[in-house]
Amino acid sequence: MMRTDHLSAGYGTEDIIRGICLDAAEGEFIGIIGPNGSGKTTLIKAMSRVLATRKGAVTIEGRLLDDYDPKELARTLGVVPQETSVGFSYTVGDIVMMGRFPHHTRFTRESPEDYRVVEEAMAVTGIGHLAARPVTEISGGERQRVIIARTLAQQPRFLLLDEATAHLDINHQVEILSIIRGLGSGVTKIGVFHDLNLASAYCDRILLMAGGEVRAMGTPEEVLTRENLREHYGIDALIQTHPVTGRPIVLPLEGTAHRSSSSTGSPPAPSTRVHLVCGGGSGSGLMYRLTAAGCEVTAGILCDGDSDTCTAAALGIEFLCIPPFSPIGPEETAALKEMVAAADVAILTAMPIGPGNLANLEVLCDQETTPVIIYMPEGGQFTDYTGGKLDAVLKCIEEKGAGRISRVEDLLSSLK
Amino acid sequence: MLTGAKRRNGAVALVLVGAMLLSLVLSLSIGPSTVPISSFVPSDLFGALAAFLSGEDVAPFFPDETAYLIVYSVRMPRVLAALLVGAGLAAAGTAMQGLFRNSMADPYIIGTSSGAAMGAAVAIVFLGGMFLPVFAFVGAAGATFLVYALATRNGRAPVETLLLTGVALSMFFSSILSFLMYSAGKSLHQIIYWMMGGFWTVGWDDVALSILIIAGCVILIVYAKDLNILSLGEEDAVHLGVNVETFKRILLFVSSFITGIAVAIAGSIGFIGLITPHVMRLVVGPDHRMLFPAAMVAGGIFLLWADTVTRTFLGDMPVGVITAFVGAPFFVFLLRRRSRA
Repeated sequence: MMRTDHLSAGYGTEDIIRGICLDAAEGEFIGIIGPNGSGKTTLIKAMSRVLATRKGAVTIEGRLLDDYDPKELARTLGVVPQETSVGFSYTVGDIVMMGRFPHHTRFTRESPEDYRVVEEAMAVTGIGHLAARPVTEISGGERQRVIIARTLAQQPRFLLLDEATAHLDINHQVEILSIIRGLGSGVTKIGVFHDLNLASAYCDRILLMAGGEVRAMGTPEEVLTRENLREHYGIDALIQTHPVTGRPIVLPLEGTAHRSSSSTGSPPAPSTRVHLVCGGGSGSGLMYRLTAAGCEVTAGILCDGDSDTCTAAALGIEFLCIPPFSPIGPEETAALKEMVAAADVAILTAMPIGPGNLANLEVLCDQETTPVIIYMPEGGQFTDYTGGKLDAVLKCIEEKGAGRISRVEDLLSSLK
Repeated sequence: MLTGAKRRNGAVALVLVGAMLLSLVLSLSIGPSTVPISSFVPSDLFGALAAFLSGEDVAPFFPDETAYLIVYSVRMPRVLAALLVGAGLAAAGTAMQGLFRNSMADPYIIGTSSGAAMGAAVAIVFLGGMFLPVFAFVGAAGATFLVYALATRNGRAPVETLLLTGVALSMFFSSILSFLMYSAGKSLHQIIYWMMGGFWTVGWDDVALSILIIAGCVILIVYAKDLNILSLGEEDAVHLGVNVETFKRILLFVSSFITGIAVAIAGSIGFIGLITPHVMRLVVGPDHRMLFPAAMVAGGIFLLWADTVTRTFLGDMPVGVITAFVGAPFFVFLLRRRSRA
């Protein structure tokens, strides 16, 4: 177990991090996230004894960090720093072998066991073919893998990673993080992440730092929330669920939460009520732009599991929804009529229309109170799966004055 | 793994040791008057040995008594001192380059040479040259202590701070030295001679003193593996289990001790401590377990030949003149060859 207890540390006279409490259970993978300058690297340095602690304590398995002899600490705790430059032209094999240093006394020579560990570390990090190459002549990503191999060769039970994979290609990021997570319950892992989705995918728990303090700690679901991202990163993002892993994924939305309304030109009158008839992802972009512009948005009727449904749920939009592949019944139709009537304007997005969602269009055609806009972005089109019924309904809607608009900016300004 | 490199380094070691032994013998023979190698050996080996052990004069056992005196009383101490001083400067230079992760570092980088020069100048100006070696040593070692003390905060002396403090303090010592030289009057040429470095006055007692250089070098070799790791950077060294602050202290003080002894014997001879580690790193690679011994032997051979050349052909010109004159173009040649490769 590795733990920091009200840890404060910093440079000069200033404390960069204050009162950090962190408790890593055996075998756990903890991610540390936070905007630049939030103190993530400082925390890693204080936890690896590179930086002296000011207040509080760091303990590994109940013992204070300062009570460890240097080599004993290096056998217990491995650190992969953010970036390493190697001045002299050691070979890759030499560098990885240096990971065995804490296992040696001054006069021991490298044993067959050392060579076995080193070769294994190079194999899992995919640098075996580079063993005889000077480390000054390989790429930055390869060098980072060399450092990771060196750290693995230390055979530590605790691992600190400071953006260990930040300079690697996506395939190596995934590979290395899988290897690190695959070290299993014997190795406790604590890593700084820039990429929130990687943190979400690999970590058991996430610690969110900002301004040198812990702002949130918990499972990825608990920490990666729209509110946390808005408050501490200053971005608006959709949080969805990874279809395969079930972990949250962060989809940053264009611009920041407070800037986006101004970037769309003159905003519509506040609290314009808009109803969106959309589906299959055709309305997701509009939902965000309209809410960001201050409109009150409703949507429907959507299907469970549709990507527009997910977006609506993530944005907190009120929407009507039916189980997938089921027809729209009279009850839903009545609810939709009510919703459309309550809106100042209804927007119909270009999308595939089949028997399951034709009723939505019929509702728009049957009403007189709310003006309708047909949103047809470039490349968007109505595809007819209704056997010819679509044309009649569309014609009906257009005859009642619905215009076609292809640009979001025009759409927003028409709402004024 | 890496057996090819190991075999090559074995061959390099063999060549270096062979070259050293050959240089020793040749440099004893070469000089203003050439002494044939045959007269190095006593005609009655056992008689000479018995006389030597009982403390009697061994000269009569040699075929040529004058040759015996030249070889064993004049040349041999000088040859051995040159060898050991060269080895010491190369070892200290290697240590500093490893510590500062920079192949432009040399043994004098943290104020050692300007400290020594100031000490020597003080002895020359105020004491007429008495205790000059002692003052030079104290100046060299004292400068290092001072730099370390000034660079340390909260028990840590970051490498960058050490380097900058060393540069600043060197400037400071140099200005005092300039003042001493300015006010030295007739002894000015003595200071200048000393600063260029040479082995004019070397005797057997200096050889005895330079045994301490060997002791320092052994300590450095013992810590070679730690230096490998420190040369990756201080933070990496902490992560890999090196007691960085303690080790830096050992490294600095052993190096400045070696340099101080070398300077006390022969003045501040430049270029050996800079070029030898650099060249040998190109030959045997950066692993200090091999680099230390290789640089020591190469540095010794280099200084030995520089001194042999100056005392044989150049009227005993200061050897520091030769080392830079030969060393600098060679260095440039290596740099150009390496950048082409």
